[in-house]
Amino acid sequence: MSPEIQFDNIRYGKDGREIIAPLTLQLRERRIGLVGRNGSGKSTFARLLTGLIAPDAGKVLVGGVDVFKDRKAAVGMIGVLFQNPDHQIIFPTVLEEISFGLRQQGRSQAEARETAQAILAKFGRSAWADRSVHGLSQGQRHLVCLLAVLAMAPKVIVFDEPYAGLDLPTRMHLERLLAGLGQTVIHITHEPPSLQGYDRVLWLEAGKIAQDGRPEQVLPAFEAEMMRLGGGDALADL
Amino acid sequence: MLSLTSEIRTPYHPWPAGPKLGAVCLVTASLFIIGSPWFSGAIVLACLGLYALPGLGFLRQGLGALRMLWPFLALIALWHGVSGTLEAGLAVALQLLAAVGFANLVTLTTRLEDMAAVVTRAASPLRRFGLRPERFGLALALVVRFTPVLAQRGDQIAQSWHARTSRRPGWQVLAPLALGAIDDATYVAEALRARGGIDPVEE
Repeated sequence: MSPEIQFDNIRYGKDGREIIAPLTLQLRERRIGLVGRNGSGKSTFARLLTGLIAPDAGKVLVGGVDVFKDRKAAVGMIGVLFQNPDHQIIFPTVLEEISFGLRQQGRSQAEARETAQAILAKFGRSAWADRSVHGLSQGQRHLVCLLAVLAMAPKVIVFDEPYAGLDLPTRMHLERLLAGLGQTVIHITHEPPSLQGYDRVLWLEAGKIAQDGRPEQVLPAFEAEMMRLGGGDALADL
Repeated sequence: MLSLTSEIRTPYHPWPAGPKLGAVCLVTASLFIIGSPWFSGAIVLACLGLYALPGLGFLRQGLGALRMLWPFLALIALWHGVSGTLEAGLAVALQLLAAVGFANLVTLTTRLEDMAAVVTRAASPLRRFGLRPERFGLALALVVRFTPVLAQRGDQIAQSWHARTSRRPGWQVLAPLALGAIDDATYVAEALRARGGIDPVEE
C-alpha cells in the first residue's frame, strides 16, 4: 500500500525567479517517474518532496506528514538518494554511515549498529562494515547510500538521477536492486528508457507539469520533443 | 590521507576508547613533564613493540603514518646541530616521536564513532553554557570524512590547472577550492537534514 503524496498548491522561487509554478498533485502509484530537461525544476521538486527546502507557499504531505515541518516523522516516511554519493555520505566508515540515520530516529547506539550490520548482511556486504568510504568505488559508495536509506525503512524513496556517472555493470546492478524494492519509488531522470514499466510518469517543463500519465503516453511525447529540440528544428523555431 | 581506523584487526581494537584516549593524555603529559631522553626512548621502544605485536602489516602501517614527522625531525636535528645542542635536540625528537607514535596507535585502533562518543561525553559540561556536546562528536566525524574529499578536490583543481598551462598552480586555485568546499557543505547539510538533522530525536 503506497502512502499518498500530496502537493498542495506548492510554489517555490529563488531570487525572484519562479522555479516551481503553483503545483497541485496527488500521487498514489508505487513506481513514479519524473522526466524533464536540465533546469526544468526536477531537483527542486525532489527537495520539496523530501522536505529539504521550504516551499514559498503550500505544503507537501507524504502519508499525511508535512515533510518540511515534521522532520521526525518525515525521515521515517521518505528517504532520498542523491546523484553524487560524496554529497550524501557523512561518515568516514560504512557502518557509521548506515547507523547515523538510525541514531537520528532515536535508536540506541547498540541497536543502530545491529540494524546496520543486518542490512549489510542482507545485501552480502558484511565485510564492508569497518571499511573507509573513501576507499570504495563510486558504485560501491552509491550502494552504501542506498543501504543507509533502506536501513531507516522509509515508505517512499526518491532517486535523483541514480545512474548518472555509473558504468554499465554497476548501473544494471543498481537497476535490479531498485526494481526489487518494496517501497514506493520516485525516479527522477532525463533518460526515458529507465522508466519502462512504471505506473505513472510526470513530465516537468519550466516548473510546470507538461504531461502526466502512463509511461507509454508520456515518454514517446517527451522523447519526440527532446529530439525536436536537439535536432535542427530547434533553430528553425527562432 | 588522514590516518583512519586501521582495517588490519589488532588486539587493541576492542579496548574501550575512553581509557585509550586517557592513556594518550597521560603518556603525552608524562613525556613532557619527565623530559628525560631515556624515558622518551623507552616509550618509543614500547610503541614499536605494540605496533609489531599484531604483525608486520600493522607495523608497516604504523611506521607509514609517522612519515609526515620526518621533515620536523630533520628540522630539529638541523637546528640543534647548528646551535651545537645535539643532545637537547635528540631529547625533543624522541619526545615528539613517542607522543605522535602513541597517539597514532590509538587513532589506528579506535573506531571514530567511539572516539566521537568520548568527545561528546567530555564536552558534556559545556551543556551548561548552552552548547550541545553531540555536535563536537559530529564535527570530529565530519572533519575526518571530508579531509580526504577536500584533498582530492584540490588535486582535481590542480590537474585542471596543469591541463591548460605549464606554470605551477598559484594562489589562484584557493578561491575555487574554497567555493567548492562551501558548495559541498551545502549538499552535506541537506544530506544531514534528509536523515533527521544534527541532533538525535529525543524520545
